[in-house]
Amino acid sequence: MKFSVYQISRQGGRERNEDRMGYAYTRESGLFVLADGMGGHPEGAMAAQLALQTFSAYFQKAASPTVREVPDFLSSALMAAHHQIIRYAAEKGMLDTPRTTLVAAVMERNHVHWIHCGDSRLYLVREGELLTRTRDHSYIEQQAHLGRSTEHINRNILFTCLGSPAKPVYDVSGPVQLQQGDRVLLCSDGLWSTVKDFEIADQLARHPLEHAVPELVEMALKRGGPRCDNVTVLAMEWETPDEFQTTRVSTEDIEEGVFASTIQSGVPDPSVEDLDDEAIERSIAEINEAIRRTAEKNA
Amino acid sequence: MSKVKPAPLPPDTVIGGYRIVKKLAAGGFGVVYLAVDTEGQQVAIKEYLPSSLASRGPGELLPQVQPEKLSLYRLGLKSFFEEGRALAQISHQSVVSVLNFFRENETVYMVMNYLEGASLQEFIITARELKKQKVFRESTIRSLYDEVLRGLRIVHQHKMLHLDIKPANIFITDDNRAVLIDFGAAREVLSKEGNFIRPMYTPGFAAPEMYRRDSSMGPWTDIYAIGACIYASMQGYPPNDAPQRLEKDRLSLALSRLRGVYSDNLIEVVEWCMSLDPLSRPQSVFALQKELSRETERSYTKLTVAEKMRLQFDNIVSDNKRSARKTTAAGTRFK
Repeated sequence: MKFSVYQISRQGGRERNEDRMGYAYTRESGLFVLADGMGGHPEGAMAAQLALQTFSAYFQKAASPTVREVPDFLSSALMAAHHQIIRYAAEKGMLDTPRTTLVAAVMERNHVHWIHCGDSRLYLVREGELLTRTRDHSYIEQQAHLGRSTEHINRNILFTCLGSPAKPVYDVSGPVQLQQGDRVLLCSDGLWSTVKDFEIADQLARHPLEHAVPELVEMALKRGGPRCDNVTVLAMEWETPDEFQTTRVSTEDIEEGVFASTIQSGVPDPSVEDLDDEAIERSIAEINEAIRRTAEKNA
Repeated sequence: MSKVKPAPLPPDTVIGGYRIVKKLAAGGFGVVYLAVDTEGQQVAIKEYLPSSLASRGPGELLPQVQPEKLSLYRLGLKSFFEEGRALAQISHQSVVSVLNFFRENETVYMVMNYLEGASLQEFIITARELKKQKVFRESTIRSLYDEVLRGLRIVHQHKMLHLDIKPANIFITDDNRAVLIDFGAAREVLSKEGNFIRPMYTPGFAAPEMYRRDSSMGPWTDIYAIGACIYASMQGYPPNDAPQRLEKDRLSLALSRLRGVYSDNLIEVVEWCMSLDPLSRPQSVFALQKELSRETERSYTKLTVAEKMRLQFDNIVSDNKRSARKTTAAGTRFK
């Protein structure tokens, strides 16, 4: 399995970046996740981080080396993430719970499945055409879907998310069979609120990921102005040829039974000084494993 | 000096299968050695040995860490690992590469490519001594920083900031590559918020937010340093440090001296990178690369007579200041 991947997250004009993104893969399966911690509630970044960590941990357990029942996996990981957030709030005795949106995709055996909750989106672009995108769980999109006017609706009102006392509403989509060159893009609303669907499809069609993605993010930041929302984009291209070395992942580089992830654990971080002998040895082994992988990729 | 630096390992000590040839450098984080592996290949080895937390007598192998400093020592070790972990994922010809990582003598060692050449700092000093109008040619500057930025972009992609970019940390190899070195100050901060140790900084190259403990740093912090490096490559000297600039900003004035010598566009790029407000700088390496590689026809704006006079007056004032500062510096050095 081979794919190129490129991810950027930018703070925009906000005080902090509450978007989180990451990907993980085994030899035969890849997981891509993006979460946008919500403002108006406490610790949005924590909700997003917990969601990512839960997905990553679930994936590590389920993908051996494929997930098989992908739709089940996606919905149970999402519910687990939701419960993690609620538990976190309960343990801390918080009056209000942290909340986040979520979009995640799994690619394996030439197919992609995805799940979303809230207004973080997935775009699937094939040969320059927007094949499909997720429909937000927002009032504005719901009304538009019903063919009603959306003129005076605040686009920021969502009717579901992870971490709220009400059970999350989510949609699982797929499978879609992937073709070489297909591009899948996950993004927070910081991108799509100012950059139009056709522009996203167009950029992805015309440029390699490592140009298209930063260009899209720059566009969003420029249009978003000084109060611009966090802008986060995680995009991949399926089975790409070898040209774009820096972003290319070939899962054959990793060994059987091994799991690689860009999603860092660490929160809640028990404490930094707990670096015992075992942790030191493990860190050294991990670094040497990373050195070996990097060297192989470039061989 | 209140404290003795830990002694480096003597030549011919064998650690992790590498034989030490000599000490190359020592910094706050540890010591860097030139060593050879079993096949005679030269490597650079960085030993984790923070001088403020650990001591080692001459000829000894094991560092001593006082019990009350042990937790800080381990915390530092953690960022040493972070540096290794991040560099291990990067393979780019403009970023120093890590070959191996091992534990011995109750500390850890990072093995890196040994680079032959000289730092940009040395090149700048040599060039400015020639007293030419230009320190480097504009085309040299553009292509040099194009290379540096390619490397930096990969670094940022791995959620790492360098945080100590300066001419001394840009290495020019004998086969003419520019390589970013010394990630000692780097921390994996792009994904985290707060609670990390802020690194030391180099005046002139450190952005104002590096001095303010409350504000967040980002790619724009490294971009400030890049701007300062370009400045140094044009002027031959580092720019004023950020606190000085916040008090009275003479950057535009200093840059106007270079008008007609370097293109308006290059001068504007430096000013853009070195904006005191982090949000006014290029927000990503990508944005800066785009501007720097834009090859339009270069335009040059000459100074007016009034501007020239103002500059001459400023020269007299700043010369006085400079000599005054030198005296104080010499006076305090041996305290």
